[in-house]
Amino acid sequence: MYAQAFFVAVFGLAAIGFGVVVFRTSSMVRSALALLFSQTAVGCMFLAMQTEFLGVLQIMMMATEMSIMAIFMVMFMMDPGGLGGMDMSHQKRFSIGAGVSAAVIAIAVALLSDWGPAADQVPDAAAQTRALGMELLGRSMLIFETAGITILTAMIAATAVAIPVQNPASKNDTEASE
Amino acid sequence: MTVAVVLMALFGSAWLLAVIEGWTTTGRLSLAAPVLSGLAHLGRESIVPRSPDRVFFEAAPVLLLVVAVLGAAVLPLAPDLIIADLGTGALFINAALAYVLVALIMAGWGPDGAYAMIGGWRFLGQLIAYSMLIVMPITAVAMRAESLVNTAIVGSQAGLWNIVYQPLGFVLFFIAAMALAFRAPFDLPIAAGELAGGVDAEYTGVRLAVLRLARLTLVVTLASATTVFFLGGWHGPLLPPWAWSLIKTLAVAMSMLLAGRYLPRIREADLMRWCWTLGIPLALVNIIIVGLLVLVVP
Amino acid sequence: MTSDPSITATGTRQKRSSVLQKLVSRALARNLSCLIVPGPEVALAHGLDVKAAGMRISSTPRDAGVLLIIGGLSEKMGDAAAVLYAQMPRPRAILMVGGQTPSTLPDADISAGFSQEELTEAIGRLQRALAEGAFAASPEDFDSSVLHASIEYVCPMHPEVVEDEPGSCPKCGMDLVAREAGESTPEHGHEHENHHDHEHHEHEHEHEHEHEHEHEHCHDDEHHGHQGHQDHEHEKHEHGDHDHEDEHAGHDHGEHDHSGHDHGGSGFMSMIEVTKDLPRSADGLQMDWLEVPFGPVFPGLPGGLKLTLTLDGDGVTEGQAMSLVGMSTAGEDEGMDMDMDVETFLEHLSTAMPLAPVSYRLLACLAIERVAGLEDDPATAGPRAAALERERIASHLGWLAQLGRQLGFAWLTERASTLQLEIQSASRERLTELEPALRALAARLGRTPLLESRLRGIGMLPPDSTELRGPIVRAADEGGDAWARLWQRLSEISASLDLIKEAEEPRLPALRNIGHVSGTGEATVDTPRGEARLSLKLERGQVKSYRLDTACSHHIGLVAGLVEGRELGDALVAVGSLDLSPWEVIS
Repeated sequence: MYAQAFFVAVFGLAAIGFGVVVFRTSSMVRSALALLFSQTAVGCMFLAMQTEFLGVLQIMMMATEMSIMAIFMVMFMMDPGGLGGMDMSHQKRFSIGAGVSAAVIAIAVALLSDWGPAADQVPDAAAQTRALGMELLGRSMLIFETAGITILTAMIAATAVAIPVQNPASKNDTEASE
Repeated sequence: MTVAVVLMALFGSAWLLAVIEGWTTTGRLSLAAPVLSGLAHLGRESIVPRSPDRVFFEAAPVLLLVVAVLGAAVLPLAPDLIIADLGTGALFINAALAYVLVALIMAGWGPDGAYAMIGGWRFLGQLIAYSMLIVMPITAVAMRAESLVNTAIVGSQAGLWNIVYQPLGFVLFFIAAMALAFRAPFDLPIAAGELAGGVDAEYTGVRLAVLRLARLTLVVTLASATTVFFLGGWHGPLLPPWAWSLIKTLAVAMSMLLAGRYLPRIREADLMRWCWTLGIPLALVNIIIVGLLVLVVP
Repeated sequence: MTSDPSITATGTRQKRSSVLQKLVSRALARNLSCLIVPGPEVALAHGLDVKAAGMRISSTPRDAGVLLIIGGLSEKMGDAAAVLYAQMPRPRAILMVGGQTPSTLPDADISAGFSQEELTEAIGRLQRALAEGAFAASPEDFDSSVLHASIEYVCPMHPEVVEDEPGSCPKCGMDLVAREAGESTPEHGHEHENHHDHEHHEHEHEHEHEHEHEHEHCHDDEHHGHQGHQDHEHEKHEHGDHDHEDEHAGHDHGEHDHSGHDHGGSGFMSMIEVTKDLPRSADGLQMDWLEVPFGPVFPGLPGGLKLTLTLDGDGVTEGQAMSLVGMSTAGEDEGMDMDMDVETFLEHLSTAMPLAPVSYRLLACLAIERVAGLEDDPATAGPRAAALERERIASHLGWLAQLGRQLGFAWLTERASTLQLEIQSASRERLTELEPALRALAARLGRTPLLESRLRGIGMLPPDSTELRGPIVRAADEGGDAWARLWQRLSEISASLDLIKEAEEPRLPALRNIGHVSGTGEATVDTPRGEARLSLKLERGQVKSYRLDTACSHHIGLVAGLVEGRELGDALVAVGSLDLSPWEVIS
């Protein structure tokens, strides 16, 4: 029990630590990977709290997602390596306000919610996975499938928008007009 | 104890692979060659490039090695010879291997050189091609076993190995595993002829030794995963279970190493196109077939 | 010290003496890997099998312990070799085969002549030297003038502020940006240089990073890029990056309305706004462009060829090739006379073209004999033609080996190199014996998966390309891509075999006695890379001037069109498919 609490605390602090690094570096890649390791630490917290599936899933998904974020940062940011010593922060007042209020809300939710009695016995990982599967394909199926289809649609739409128009007729027109 | 045995098997296999690799490239079979080459790397200067991202540069080879070892930790050599038989083992190996990408991006970005950087980002493109082909065949494997526990997955193949039950999945997984281990012909991030070593290009001395060891270990881990998921793991007549696991793993690893010698490097665009237009539909077909088999065949 | 060979002080590594260190020295000696300058194809063309002699061929200087220099190097290649040597980790050694060590490098540790036996023996000596002297108490730093480029620090805002040390600008406090001395300041469109207030300052600072972007990854610390400046001070490293002035430096700066963005509160600058005026590449993304050197010692390109590609991601925006070893035709200029014995001229020309010595020897013979008015002698014409065809086969095999290196197709490299080594000096009988092996190689390539998809459609020449010669023009009808060129070369191999079978024993062309003739003569030979023409002027048996026109001089101009807008790998394959020999590029 104490060991568990200890690890949750360690990973929690690591998550916060990496989260701070995100804003303390001016290298975009470092920033993205620090965010990745912050999220990985959150995944490890899940593991320490015996929710194995969630933890492993979190650790797996973040690796790819944050790497993709890193490449977008490199592609579009002005100084992705942070060599110019440029100040990466902007809209300071607004972000401080947003951060503080989010923290207050999160703490309030944590303190004020009725979490119910603590479970004595956590089901083992295999049983949890099974229960999660039953949930996903049972009661919550509609929600998840809708979300999935929506994301897929958004992806296809975004790709379609990004593909340059390849219409030979209109291309000829523009060439002729030039 | 188990940890020591599994690690010994892992690095022992990596050493054997290095011997075979040396044999194919130099034509001399020498059991001491990998050890000598490791020593020689220790003797060489380990240069840090001029303006590196030091953290990434140092961490990348180590991360790659750690990831390979973590992946191997959830794969059983024998029914009771496994470091951690996780309830989500088949998912965990995906999670661990996703960090191969992170390690390569770090190795590419760290040294601050154009060749390495292009190599690192190229692997991100490669991941977009192969990752679905790792996950979807494993899904079909887990469907048959009705479990994500790796020992249960091997157990489900006692009667019939998955390579026979779902050959399509095996082929896709094998190819994707080679791409994940960035072995030729999928060695886009290394690509001697295109990027002069790519992510490897700036590493020397001890760091290079770690990187090479990590790459070999990664091949062993992936071969071991192929064995567990498709080749019936420890099942086999006469020999003890661990021996079967090792034999199969080494055979898969060696075929991964050798295939690249006889093939030119794939074009990045082709890899992407084939994986998405051919590989993923095939993987879906595989899932459907396995689903039908699971439901229909008692 | 004994008379045993030892490693020069710039190659050794400092370490205290110990048992472990002895063991490591042994391991180092057993594990030789070399970087070949100008390139492995030159070693093969000289009939040297480096692998059989006991060294691994590595593709980067970082992975090499031995710098293997084949033949004398041009001045530019000498500079490149010095940079490569500086990039190699210690302990390192220089092995010189034939010729003099370039002045930019320390003296070679071991020298050998152009023969396999001498090379093997030299490697043996090198191993002993390394086992004994890989570590020394007092190693020296390798320093050469080519490694220096003075770095100066400038304020992006105040061009007049130039400092030797990094720091901040005394006028505005911005970080100074490093650049190589001699480069011009990137252009700025800012008109109000001296009177900006703080908000402006911050804004411009951000803007500056549009340029600085490339400092980031563009230090030409690249291997093989020969203007790299390696700080190799014994496992220390020095910070300092270079400013690469690139094509779009100074882009779009004048257009910004500075007062429009102040960074007080909500002045968030969107990516779209920042990148909207940057040039777009083929894939429609605006990214920063890096100018990356590929060569002159690059594993995927012929040695001596330097390709400079402007990369945008992994797409090539533009590129050009130049030869660092190209021959300059002496005596071409009016009024500049050279006096060269015809025999010396013959040697001069054939050693200047290491990848096709026989062809150029034949070319010189023919041209000189034309001057003398000699007609073709059937007794020598047969053997000469056979020797030319044999060289064609060997040269095409060399190209195949190079293709294998470029594509990471180890089997092809190995097989083609082995055959090339055999064929270079093979007799007619031996060639007939090797015929099945050559045909099997072609059949095998036809069956190799991925190869066609890798080459098909790559390296298509623009329809208005002129002056194409040799296999390239012959392949133009078959589709004109890299795949067609591969099959053209393979079919030329088998055509040459057929010719040799019907011809006589190949013999190196030797000059017939011409006496002290004067006059001009011209000859044409179809070298493996295409037609070469030589016209020369003799006076009393001395070569006064000559003019050489080769296929590669024309083909190198095609590179820019081939690489533009292609993915990096495809661009390199396209360049490789031209089979450029940088030696045959006449400047």
